[in-house]
Amino acid sequence: MTDLSFDKVSITYRSASARGDVVAVSDISLDLPTGATLGIAGESGSGKSTLIMSVLRLLPKSAQIDGQVRLGGNDIKDLSFGEIRAVRWAQASIVFQGALHSLNPVREVGGQIIEALEHHAKGTWTNPAKRRDRMFELLREVDLDPSKAVAYPHELSGGQKQRIMIAMALACEPDIIIADEPTTALDVIVQKQILQGLAKLVAERGISLLMISHDLAVLSAVCENLAIMRFGKLVEYGPSDRVCLDPAEDYTKQLAGAFPQIGDPESRMNPRTLKPAEVRRAEPFTKTSEVVLEAKNLNVSFDTRQGRERAVRNVNLALHKAEILAVVGQSGSGKTTLARSLLGLQEVDPGSQMEFAGKALPRKAKALRTFRRQVQMILQDPSGSLNPKRSVYEAVVEGLRVQKITDDEYARVVGALEAAELTPAADYLESIPQELSGGQRQRVVIAGALALDPQVLIADEPVASLDASVRGEILSLFLALKKNLGMSALIITHDLGLAWNIADTVAVMKKGEIVEYGDVDTVLANPQHAYTQELLAAVPRLGSQSLVRNE
Amino acid sequence: MTTPTHSYPGPAGGPGGGDPAGGPGGADPGAPDLLGPGQPRDMDEPPKGGSFLGYLLRKLGGALTSMILVVVLGFFAFRMLPGDPVLKIAKERPMSPAQIAELRSQYGLDKPVIVQFWDYLVGIFTGDLGESYVYRKPVSALIVDYLGPTLLLTATAAVIAIGLGLWLGQLSAWRRNSLFDKVASSTSLVFWSVPTFWLGLILLMIFGGTLQWLPTGGMITPGLDPWSFAGIIDVIKHLILPVITMVAVVYAQFLMVMRASLIEEMSEDYLTTARAKGLTEDEVRKKHAVPNALLPTVTVVFMHIGGLIAGAVTVEAVFSWPGLGKLTFEAISGPDLPLLQGTFVVFSAIIIVMNLAADIVYRFLDPRVRRA
Repeated sequence: MTDLSFDKVSITYRSASARGDVVAVSDISLDLPTGATLGIAGESGSGKSTLIMSVLRLLPKSAQIDGQVRLGGNDIKDLSFGEIRAVRWAQASIVFQGALHSLNPVREVGGQIIEALEHHAKGTWTNPAKRRDRMFELLREVDLDPSKAVAYPHELSGGQKQRIMIAMALACEPDIIIADEPTTALDVIVQKQILQGLAKLVAERGISLLMISHDLAVLSAVCENLAIMRFGKLVEYGPSDRVCLDPAEDYTKQLAGAFPQIGDPESRMNPRTLKPAEVRRAEPFTKTSEVVLEAKNLNVSFDTRQGRERAVRNVNLALHKAEILAVVGQSGSGKTTLARSLLGLQEVDPGSQMEFAGKALPRKAKALRTFRRQVQMILQDPSGSLNPKRSVYEAVVEGLRVQKITDDEYARVVGALEAAELTPAADYLESIPQELSGGQRQRVVIAGALALDPQVLIADEPVASLDASVRGEILSLFLALKKNLGMSALIITHDLGLAWNIADTVAVMKKGEIVEYGDVDTVLANPQHAYTQELLAAVPRLGSQSLVRNE
Repeated sequence: MTTPTHSYPGPAGGPGGGDPAGGPGGADPGAPDLLGPGQPRDMDEPPKGGSFLGYLLRKLGGALTSMILVVVLGFFAFRMLPGDPVLKIAKERPMSPAQIAELRSQYGLDKPVIVQFWDYLVGIFTGDLGESYVYRKPVSALIVDYLGPTLLLTATAAVIAIGLGLWLGQLSAWRRNSLFDKVASSTSLVFWSVPTFWLGLILLMIFGGTLQWLPTGGMITPGLDPWSFAGIIDVIKHLILPVITMVAVVYAQFLMVMRASLIEEMSEDYLTTARAKGLTEDEVRKKHAVPNALLPTVTVVFMHIGGLIAGAVTVEAVFSWPGLGKLTFEAISGPDLPLLQGTFVVFSAIIIVMNLAADIVYRFLDPRVRRA
């Protein structure tokens, strides 16, 4: 078997640009004995990915490694390229974020698994027939139908792609599996299935697991030991229960606190953040009984190859003034279609009624434009929703120009940026998105919506692509907008913790239907529908390797 | 480093992405599903692809529409050309007004435009493209005679230019900013910026004139049987200079588009996966990076093959190659309206067929298009 150890590892990216050399990892010592599970948590820029890529020498040429990365006693620096190629996948394999782009889009997934076997036959998978059998065996092990072998990545769901990645990692019976954010971008139920499957396969075979994630709860649900990284340095290391439940360092506390514990009264209506948004009104707005946006008997159908399918079924929803409503569901539950319908972006079935401020939603282009001034949309990925070549000012002002609001353009933009807590606004006006952090970009997107003084914000997974600490800031901003401006918000999410943090009401969607709808306190504390209970149970909790041990 | 200023359509703008992605599947990855028969499906599993026949019919429909537009344009565009062909003929030999009128009625030029248009349409569908004023032969027969040499010349040039361009392009991208990349890219751009006729004339002067290594024009030495061994060698000798000229001028665009699209692929995550699996760099490039980089390239390549055939006009004129290009060149100086119309329709048809071929090839190369 193979032990992995990092001994005083520092990794520097040498660069000829003005930024000079960048130290990504400094002085990390960690051990992963055979059969152990270790989680490394950290936010973006903490150097955790750089650290694990060094194990298989997958870093770009500009990276310089000091210290020793030892695999089975050998310093990987001493291996020739041929030797490191033999180590790759045969001794240590990596589970990348399969849900994203880690599979070749133009090749069948089965063939991509076989490719690994071809390179590391190990005397076992010596001919094509044996490799094929092995591939089918692997698919069964990760609970995939063998017919999926001929599928292309785009034909699979996120969870299925992740299972393919795991099957591929197991292919050559490695001693170590390195999992790089294996469940990011998956919803809680699929996340639970993937983590349980991975942990079980690893435990059965005595494989060591090194997992990195920005989500402390995910790591602590699977790993025995946890390391916390920040700015390339090791902040804390220890058994995962101790690190999560009794952290010694402030940063660990902050990271652990960023994820809400559903049912914990302290985090109810109070997202944890070091930078809470300011509530300026002495008497903040609270949820009223005045209905702003309402959907009655809403149905949306699509024509697909299998015939007509209903994405949204008989949905009844009412969004009140100064209410935050969270629509929670898995991917594919129809929640995004619901949001698009409420914005008038999606054609709905006859008989569906949607009302804004008591009037039916307009259909004509001109009336729709006026309506959209009142209801603004915020998308998930701020990097994707901002034009990389336009300045912050141009990004925010665009809505105003589309709506032909010309008076006080500058003041409105500055006001919107300040409402989104980008202060002083003047410092940001000329920046382009690439100069801003993820949280700042999302604030710019929100400012773009706020510039039009909308009554309703509809946000689609507004914090899913953000780091834990930034997540708290943005959620706190939503809460402050409601309290200061009396704004209503409908937030689409797969994160029940978000609902617990800021929402007044929650609607749980499954296969296009709302299965449970009510006050957050009632629904999450005492879920009635089996599906809500399932969702709640799938949320990883801090400590105790909860996902692995309970089963 | 020089970068081409041409904007190349990516897969989205190419024929593959012709259908708007805003369909239900594109809007929400989670169109709901009723469980497929027998086969459990994930809630957010994307729907299966459509049939090839439907795709083919749609693309054929599109090609047909373009063809109709070309036919209509072919008629009216040439009516607007300056110069009266009958008067031109009359200038060359003395003719009485009565003879001129007779010539006019013989060519059908005295009829109303709409009737002429109708005759033209009927002609096209019956394969009768009229009679050339200059050659005094049916246009369709002329085109059949001259099409072969053009296809021989352009197909040879296209295969070499594409092969050379793509091969150099992927190597340049993989060794980006190396000496090889710099030399290969800049050389290709130098040739790209050289005028075709100028390069042709220079080659002709050096290899045909001064050195007398190669023949200076035509396709075959008169009197030789093209199907005999000596004849084939002779044709190849005649081919060398025009092919080199055409290849040199166009291969840069294939190199550049391949280089750009491979560089884009080089930062993709699936290449890291491939490396982590223990593949050598060559395997990563050949098995993973290049197949993906070929996708946007194919679109551009097919679009340019069509252009290559039309671009043969210059080369054929310089090397007196008895092809459609030379025929068109002579028809313009007529103006020989029926011949111009005929070559115009044939050139356009070739381009439309090439684009159709690109759509079909693309569907085989990119599994994602199979859903469209």
